[in-house]
Amino acid sequence: MVRVTLRNVCLDYPLYGAYDFSLKRRLLGHLIREPGEMRTIRAVDNVTIEAEAGSRIGLAGPNGSGKSTLLRLIAGVYPPSSGSIALQGNVVPLLGLNAGVNLDFVAEDNIALLLRISGRKPTRAVIDEIWAFTELEPRMQRLPLRMFSSGMLMRVLFATATAFPADILLLDEWLSVVDEHFAEKAQERLLNMVSQAAIVIIASHDQPLLRRTCTSIINLDHGRIASTVTVEPPATHPFELKRA
Amino acid sequence: MHHTSETPRRPSVLHIFKIYYPDLFGGTLTVIRDICASLKDSFSSAVLACSQSAERREIVVNDVPVERVRSFGNVLSLPAAPTYPWRLWRRSAEHDLLALHAPFPLADLVFAFGFGARRPLVVHWHADIVTHAGLRWFIEPLMRRTLRRAKAIIVSDHVLVDNTPLLREFEDKCHVVPFGIDTSGYDWPKIEPHHVNDRGRLVLACGRLVPYKGFDVLIRAAASHNFETWIIGEGAERPRLEQLIQELGLGDRVRLLGSVNDCERIKLMCLADVFVMPSVTNAETFGLVQLEAMAAGRPVVNTALDTAVPRVARHGMEAITVPPGDAEKLGEAIDTLIRDPERRRRMGLAARTRTLSRYSATAFKQGMETVYRNAVAASSEERPATAEPPQATGWLDTVRIAAALAWSDMRHRYVRSLLGPFWMSLQMAIVVVVLGSVIGQMSNTSMLARLPMLALSMTAWTFLNGVVLDATTALQNSASLIRDRALPPVIFLLQCTFRQALFALHNACVPLLLWLIFSPHDLSHALAALPGLLLFVACTFALSLVLGAMATRYRDLKPIIESTLMLAFLASPVIWSSDMINHRSTVMRLNPLTHLFAVWREPLAGGAVDPVSIVYVLVALALLVFASALTLVHLRKAAFWI
Repeated sequence: MVRVTLRNVCLDYPLYGAYDFSLKRRLLGHLIREPGEMRTIRAVDNVTIEAEAGSRIGLAGPNGSGKSTLLRLIAGVYPPSSGSIALQGNVVPLLGLNAGVNLDFVAEDNIALLLRISGRKPTRAVIDEIWAFTELEPRMQRLPLRMFSSGMLMRVLFATATAFPADILLLDEWLSVVDEHFAEKAQERLLNMVSQAAIVIIASHDQPLLRRTCTSIINLDHGRIASTVTVEPPATHPFELKRA
Repeated sequence: MHHTSETPRRPSVLHIFKIYYPDLFGGTLTVIRDICASLKDSFSSAVLACSQSAERREIVVNDVPVERVRSFGNVLSLPAAPTYPWRLWRRSAEHDLLALHAPFPLADLVFAFGFGARRPLVVHWHADIVTHAGLRWFIEPLMRRTLRRAKAIIVSDHVLVDNTPLLREFEDKCHVVPFGIDTSGYDWPKIEPHHVNDRGRLVLACGRLVPYKGFDVLIRAAASHNFETWIIGEGAERPRLEQLIQELGLGDRVRLLGSVNDCERIKLMCLADVFVMPSVTNAETFGLVQLEAMAAGRPVVNTALDTAVPRVARHGMEAITVPPGDAEKLGEAIDTLIRDPERRRRMGLAARTRTLSRYSATAFKQGMETVYRNAVAASSEERPATAEPPQATGWLDTVRIAAALAWSDMRHRYVRSLLGPFWMSLQMAIVVVVLGSVIGQMSNTSMLARLPMLALSMTAWTFLNGVVLDATTALQNSASLIRDRALPPVIFLLQCTFRQALFALHNACVPLLLWLIFSPHDLSHALAALPGLLLFVACTFALSLVLGAMATRYRDLKPIIESTLMLAFLASPVIWSSDMINHRSTVMRLNPLTHLFAVWREPLAGGAVDPVSIVYVLVALALLVFASALTLVHLRKAAFWI
């Protein structure tokens, strides 16, 4: 059973100034009795989320409202200051665009490395399948990623990241970069992943995108849940869904 | 026994303090004992304390099991009990709640290292540290850490929060639970609470004979007035007080009664005419004894400390409050009460009423129970978060990913050049040849025979140097993978070791070639050197783990590490060997790198390793492993640093 449960989760994010990174300064501060108090900001404030298999949750809110931080909390990057996070199922966090990408390597090698990072064995068949999804020319597999346009790069990364079904998929500002045609295809693939009993949590500014892909949208403000909106299931294109 | 089987299991509380009955009597101990006794229906209590007596370790005091850890005397007011941290760690796992009675820096130290973090902690703030203020810079961060992880902080009066800067930082956690006293024990049948001896001039004081209690002030006050003073209590100050009494010629009017049992003490309280609490420092936070005297219906003379003392018995109502340390004012206040029986009666009654209404045992019990229950409940809610960290990547996965990353790093070197890392090997070969010729000039031994070992040492040093230097920047360079892919930071420190090991294998072709050319080919020694080489690699990895994490947290460490490595290179027998210089050189013998190289170089050269070297390396490894374990705990926060 796949499930994400956050109960009263808070995160006090320590704000390290230039001086806080200095050991000498810190030791000196002790000697001259300077109050070496650590400043913190409450990045996530008392958030409670319950998600079961099949939920697609959108996180909306202005910059700095804690969307990305919340995703990182769920991914386990940050330890929560208080409250509890319980996850059942394997998590695939895809929060940054270029994490682990080496632009000097050819596309093929990058795909192989990214698969290894997520704990999969890169076989020829898997890589070919990923490449087919990107709809890029096969010979481009042998080109270094440096030569790819950002949209093409995104296709490769998205295809790689979603090649294997994840139980819990965390996405941060992802789909808005690619062109319309691919976005549609990507959405289809996401929906397909959801149908395989997965939880997807997407943080985005793009309200239409969230409405298209999510079952409920959580609006965050200053780390708190301001409101939760349930989205009507998309009535359009039911046939396209089946095809996927 | 069957009582517990009927009801659901009572949560158990471990009280942590430095000392417990029967080694000492005092306010803090009374509080612990009262908590244990009053909460016995809802919590099962146990006490972990230190004791200097060599008697039985496990005893039972008032139905409460007490474990006494052997202490070898006091150092800076703290028991020197080397096994206490260990016992505290073991015991904390057995209980549902830890109740630390502060100040007790030894326990703070244990908690600061993260031991016992699974259990909820409640801190009873009895007093701030007043003695040994010079050590405050060291103790305060520890106490702050303890308070940070505490679920609740219990103080006896809100004024303590206002006057203690450290507590103010955690104001939202502080709960005020005033001590309570069961007044029924003070209804002495023969003496009514309002009984006043018209000609009475008996002044009573009670407390451990320690400097902050200010008994010397009381004795000096007695000198210029005509009242009798009895002081209950025992302690290290006794000889000094006795001498003072003698000097002032008060032998007939001032008596040190020593330790007195509870029943006897209550009787004395009821007999006395005035109760005095002459404490001189803020170490006296509440003054439980004055509450006992109030329960017995006695008027109080106390001191104007910044603590709850003048608030428990208030000036003009239940007490006369005088400036601390002022013998003259103290004497006058006592004299005023002695001369005015009516006022004594009035104050005594007011005191009795105040104990009943404000400091009842029931209110204390309820307050404590609420705080304890909430602490246990709050932690059982949070338990899943600590018990099961989200996405626990297995060790095998960690190693596998680190290896994949390191392999990719190495391949990256080949992307733009055909030789790849061999460029570095080439460079090293040149260095070895040049160095070898220079050293050959300096010493009279054959230079050619030394070359393979020189090259191998250089390879090993390049490895160690590279691993440590890479580790200082590894986490920052992999920030995106840590933050966006939620990979455990330790992967990237491991990656440094793997990557440098791959480079070292490239570099190893230089010593291998030299060995094939210049040495008699004898392979048997290589096998003997293998365990030492493993030790070398293990130490290098542990060192890089610790320094890598620290250099990420404190950015100014990197230049220090760089220059230290340079210094270490020169001070260690890497390019020179130990037989070239004086064997007995202190710097060389103390330098751990000497031994770290010796454990594999000596067997390789066909000699035997000095046992001292092996011990030295093993101790260093043990320390490093310990430090690494601590580092791994803190690496959870690495995402905040990068």
